[in-house]
Amino acid sequence: MIDKLYKAFIEKDRYLAYLEGFKMTLLLSFLSVLLGAAIGLIIATIKYAAVRNKLLAVPNFICNAYIAVIRGTPVYLQMFIIYFIIFNTRDTSPLLAGVVCFGINSSAYVAEIIRAGIEAVDAGQSEAGRSLGLSWIQTMIYVIFPQAIKNILPALGNEFIVLIKETAIAGNIAVLDVTKAATNIGVATYDYLPPLLIAAAIYFIVVMILTKLLGSFERRLGKSDRR
Amino acid sequence: MIDVKGLNKYFGNHQVLNDINEHIDRGEKVVVVGPSGSGKSTFLRCLNLMETPTGGEIIFEGVSITSAKSKEADRIRQKMGMVFQHFNLFPHLTILGNITLAPIKLKLMTKAEAGQKAMELLKRVGLEDKAEAYPAQLSGGQKQRIAIVRSLAMNPDVMLFDEPTSALDPEMVGEVLELMRQLANDGMTMIVVTHEMGFAKEVASRVLFMDEGRIVEQNKPEIFFEQPKNKRLQDFLSKVL
Repeated sequence: MIDKLYKAFIEKDRYLAYLEGFKMTLLLSFLSVLLGAAIGLIIATIKYAAVRNKLLAVPNFICNAYIAVIRGTPVYLQMFIIYFIIFNTRDTSPLLAGVVCFGINSSAYVAEIIRAGIEAVDAGQSEAGRSLGLSWIQTMIYVIFPQAIKNILPALGNEFIVLIKETAIAGNIAVLDVTKAATNIGVATYDYLPPLLIAAAIYFIVVMILTKLLGSFERRLGKSDRR
Repeated sequence: MIDVKGLNKYFGNHQVLNDINEHIDRGEKVVVVGPSGSGKSTFLRCLNLMETPTGGEIIFEGVSITSAKSKEADRIRQKMGMVFQHFNLFPHLTILGNITLAPIKLKLMTKAEAGQKAMELLKRVGLEDKAEAYPAQLSGGQKQRIAIVRSLAMNPDVMLFDEPTSALDPEMVGEVLELMRQLANDGMTMIVVTHEMGFAKEVASRVLFMDEGRIVEQNKPEIFFEQPKNKRLQDFLSKVL
């Protein structure tokens, strides 16, 4: 087994391939989460505002339809559809297609996470902000969002972790992520199991580290709750 | 200063305010009393457009606020402080942050000016040592005094109080009423919804009695409490006094 792992990891500097793949996985996940959070925040804000403002009925309907479609179809299919239809040109960057796909997919889930987090903030907070003369948007930025983040963060962190694992399918649209690197090495050495185990270990370690980081960040945000 | 003309408010089909006409002068201390569900809080919340009136007009310092655009409404609210039953301090900010947020973000003061003003106000209420504390570390009475200071930091022309002592432990009611008394003595225009009849007797220049969405009776406190004319008010006073 040691010999097999040596062959799958050290020989011919193969660890460099994992490293490259690992970088790609992180980059893809990170950019996707940014895109997902940006779109998700906009959708959540529209949905939150639409409860009080009838003018937003149409945008609200569009947002609901968007969320329903994204959540109602497999991400695997969404990826191919985006790659083959929307990015149907020869010089498409696989990374860009991946970011768009996973960003859009994630945004639907993130939108609901953010909306629930905003709605969990006491209505009196918004009233207090408005009564001081702050506009609706200032109240959202300075009063509501900072408090909503505490509600949102655990679920959002989870979403990020899920996304890192979901990007493992991106090899199918030619993104050289860590899973793809592992299968490539499997092909080269005629032995799939060791590189796949190595890839799995990499995902596991990253997820563990992120979980720890998230926990300490949450504790820091909880500072104002102490008595 | 504030003119209310034919104010109506419906929640769905339920009429909460029924044709309210009222005039409030600068420097007046108006206390609004009445049974729960009589529309006192809604009346107060209509004055600074926390609730949008269904009908009627409210004129504040010569400007009709009921027809104001949202930007104007925001500017009008800067001049109308509001204190809530549940304090509604911002839990993610320090006391100093709570007080200075609006003046800084609305670009009325620099950070240094706002901080200085906040410390002056905190000294006045004897809570300057709490400037760096978070709201969760304060008692109810302290929170409400900070909430009042937060409103005062905006230099309002009128202060609206929505049952400011109703959520407090009995032993903390006094410190909040004392601060309100000071404010009244300093000449602040105040509209107070409260169940504290003692405060009404002592501080009010006028007491309004609301019942079923109408202002049924109003008078100077000595006459209001000693010679009530309306049957509902007589009943109400016999229960609360």
